[in-house]
Amino acid sequence: MFKNSLTIFILLLLATLAKADPLSPADLKIVLEKVRERRTSSPHVQADFQEEKAMRLMSKPIVSSGKVWFQAPNKFRREVKGNSPSVTVSDGQQLWIYYSNFKSAERYSLGKKSPLDTAVATVNTALNLENVETTFHITGAKIDNRYELVLTPRSPSMKRMFQKFNLRLNADLLAERTEMFQPNGDRIVTMYSNQSRASIPAATFEFTPPAGTDVTTPLGR
Amino acid sequence: MRPSDFIAKIVTERRGYLWLGVAALAIASVTILVTCLSLDSDVLNMLPGKFESVNALKMYDREFEQTRALTFALVCKPEDVDKLEEFAPIFAENLRKETWCERVLAGSPMETPDGVRDLQGIAVPLLLNLEPTAFESTMSILQPERIRERLHRLHQQIEAGSPRPQFELEFDPLGVIAPALKPFAENNAIQDEQPLTSTDRTMRVFLALTNQRSISAFECQRLMKEVDVFRAHATEGWNGGPLEVLITGRSAYVAELSLIMRHDIVATLLGSILLVSVIFFIGFQRWLPLIGMGFSLLLCCLVALALGLLIFGQLNMVTIGMCSILIGLGVDFAILIFGRYQQARIDGEEHRQAIATSIHRLGRAVFFGALTTAVGFLALVLSTSIGFSQLGVLIAIGIAFAGLFMCTILFLFMRERQPPLRHDWVFGLVKRYVVWSVKRPAPILIMSILLLSILSIIGLTPPMLPFDSSTRSLEPKNSRAGNALAEIMAKMPTRWEPVLAIVRAPNEQQLHGYWQKLSAHWAELQRTGKIKGFSTPAALTLSPAWMQANRERLRTFDFQAARGSLEQALAAEGFSRDSFATGFKLIDDLQAIVDPAAALPSWRDKLPKSSSWWFLVDRYFGRDPMVTTGFVTTTERIKTHAQYEMLSRELPVPDVPTVLSGWNYTLANLLPWAQRQLVIISALMALFDAVLLAILYRDWRLWIIQELTLFFAVGAMLGTMKLLNLPLNLLNVLAFRLVLAIGVDYGIYVLLIWQKAKQLEHDVAGVMKPVLLAGLTAVSGFGSLGLARNPSLSGLGIACAIGIFWSLVATIFFTLPAAAAVEPKMWREER
Repeated sequence: MFKNSLTIFILLLLATLAKADPLSPADLKIVLEKVRERRTSSPHVQADFQEEKAMRLMSKPIVSSGKVWFQAPNKFRREVKGNSPSVTVSDGQQLWIYYSNFKSAERYSLGKKSPLDTAVATVNTALNLENVETTFHITGAKIDNRYELVLTPRSPSMKRMFQKFNLRLNADLLAERTEMFQPNGDRIVTMYSNQSRASIPAATFEFTPPAGTDVTTPLGR
Repeated sequence: MRPSDFIAKIVTERRGYLWLGVAALAIASVTILVTCLSLDSDVLNMLPGKFESVNALKMYDREFEQTRALTFALVCKPEDVDKLEEFAPIFAENLRKETWCERVLAGSPMETPDGVRDLQGIAVPLLLNLEPTAFESTMSILQPERIRERLHRLHQQIEAGSPRPQFELEFDPLGVIAPALKPFAENNAIQDEQPLTSTDRTMRVFLALTNQRSISAFECQRLMKEVDVFRAHATEGWNGGPLEVLITGRSAYVAELSLIMRHDIVATLLGSILLVSVIFFIGFQRWLPLIGMGFSLLLCCLVALALGLLIFGQLNMVTIGMCSILIGLGVDFAILIFGRYQQARIDGEEHRQAIATSIHRLGRAVFFGALTTAVGFLALVLSTSIGFSQLGVLIAIGIAFAGLFMCTILFLFMRERQPPLRHDWVFGLVKRYVVWSVKRPAPILIMSILLLSILSIIGLTPPMLPFDSSTRSLEPKNSRAGNALAEIMAKMPTRWEPVLAIVRAPNEQQLHGYWQKLSAHWAELQRTGKIKGFSTPAALTLSPAWMQANRERLRTFDFQAARGSLEQALAAEGFSRDSFATGFKLIDDLQAIVDPAAALPSWRDKLPKSSSWWFLVDRYFGRDPMVTTGFVTTTERIKTHAQYEMLSRELPVPDVPTVLSGWNYTLANLLPWAQRQLVIISALMALFDAVLLAILYRDWRLWIIQELTLFFAVGAMLGTMKLLNLPLNLLNVLAFRLVLAIGVDYGIYVLLIWQKAKQLEHDVAGVMKPVLLAGLTAVSGFGSLGLARNPSLSGLGIACAIGIFWSLVATIFFTLPAAAAVEPKMWREER
């Protein structure tokens, strides 16, 4: 009985210690301003990631891991390791997805008002937090020295892609965890580690498919 | 007894009988109008019916549901684009709730779950309709090994992070729907060029199919009243800045056009009556004859409309505008006859004698004037346009009756006891001018020849007056529907209107064969750059022969193995079985059609009535499914006859009965017709007039003067139109024959009197005053048509007013002094 009561007491104490402090709009503004300052001073970010994708289509979630490189405002590279490796590269104008197992690549043109544009813009904005207030409703809380932000898209086109986007920033204001909820019930949780603001070579965001690669353009443009 | 004396006797001594005759005629005409009146609001009936392209346009209007569709557009400020995106579904839902609305298209059907489901639903018939080799290849995807391979590959791609397999599997779990729909998708690339959202996202377009029973003027007005009620509260729930609701479509146009026509009839009729009355009163200072003139003209209109209705059974709404033309023409006769009557009274003649004198002196001129005008308008029958033919016949009938009534009924409104006019300042001015111009014709002649020649040179030398063949030239000014369409076209990166290719076949198999041939031919034309693109119903036209052959092939297919393989592959790759329910159903559906007793499936039965895909289907299929349309987008907008000739040569395929049409295509087709109307028929009419005048004058000098007068009038008219930047269009080319007809009348009045004149001041001035007043009233009458909002009427009115003005100027300042110069009359007076 005592043991149980002690356990409950300790749990309550921990819960109190880890209690989230909701951010007021003014505090939120300060946080976002700090993020902007960091981004301006060092626009490059890289990190390792681990992702769990729960899809309606699959019985079990799909887990993948790899590394991601990002340069504000819209360049990124994402390499997935494991049995089904892939490389996703965007220079802001084009998006390449290369599957080394199949020696095939998909090329998507951005800036053509396609749903893909909305998806990429949404993720970029969420990770970049640039002009985030204009495209998302934001609420947030401070937990210890971290920030938990909840982003809800304002525009219907974004809402068609994501219902909600949870973002956890570490003390250095870098993404630590993202959680994306899609309207069809799919959910993607990504954990980031070993984040760094070290400079990234420009070639990282360029992609040329290896010889013999079968290139397709699924959206036809 | 001379005819003029006989008429004078009847009018003065048998007034009661004459009034009874008038009453009987009026009652008969009104009865016919009330019991038989049927109005045709179709603007297409103004185009000549002998052209296939025109008939095809009419058929398209009649046979295809699209004519019942209304286009709505919401336009917001750039800062409200997100709000508009959010509001669009609310607006679409409100639209769907309206009782007059059957279906709404608010976005690409592929972007909605219902649209995707509907497309999956028609996959089986379209799969079965594939060419047998393509069918064989597609069905091989359902071999157990291929199913396993495909799902394994897609699983790996999902793990690699590709978004593509997810979309693919959700739409096409087995991989056979995409090949089945491939022909459909290939042939409908044109849809990509017709987005429903503008690139700047400030405009959203919605298509609504209405349930109106017909597209008659009254039905369209009724519908648009309800639509306007919806428009009034359509923005409820919108919380942004200004939001504009634009509405266009065939019904919107017809409703507006018919209401505009009502306005035009009232405005132009009142305008011309007012102006004519003012001029008449200034000229003659009498009210009763003015009322008589109005009554006679009204009776002319009634009789012409009633006879026209008996002849044609239905009258085009545009032809009702003939009332204004008839007033403009008929008033000439009234003014001339009354002017001469008044002069006879001033000369001291009794009422009856004055009537006889005016008919005797001017009856011949009125008869020939009516004859030339009637023949000029009857020539419109050659146009083969129902609308213009009716207009021509109605005016011809009306003008003939106008000539008759002005020599009879008009005199019922002249009082015997009324004293003659003592002080006539208009006549005084005219007399002074006549004396001066006859005594010293040279200065006036030089001045007038100079002015008219300059204008004629401007008018008849290059660059020629532009010919506006655009559909816009036929639209009412400030039309809401027209402006809405223009605004939508400006915002949307749309192509120009395509060429329509209408194909009718006796059965499904033949229809399928026709479209296969046309699609293959047009694909080749697209490859060689002769056309920009095309879309056809080829994929939707079913081939019973192919379907039967493919069904035979299905009998050998092992459905059990396919089902088992799918089950195993799903389990092995970790896919959720529920997500593949549509795949299992597809296998069941395919197995069900193997039974030879089962009817061959048709996509028509599978597509729900509420499906947005019907908007696409209705573009291709008429109410009769054997009447179909394909669309060809040209490399540039069709403007010239050469483009029409190239397309009419290149697009058809031998043995495929195709009729090409579309507004731009048709107008380009009609260009030579319109120009022929202008040149050949006007020239024929001029030739008729020339022969008639030669017989009438029997004096080559007067004949040349008359011909030169007509030349100057038409030349100056063209010059003025060029200077005022008034282009010719399909309708105002009519003005030329009207100007010729009226110009001939004026010449006849002046030159016939000149030939027989004994007293310069009395005879010549006596006719010049009525000619001046008649000219001014005709200019006013036609000018009042400029008040019309219908461009066909206003354009015609303005062109006629300009032409008649110059006819009048040429008659007064050229014909008279020229006649005086070549055949001096002074000696007669002096002798």
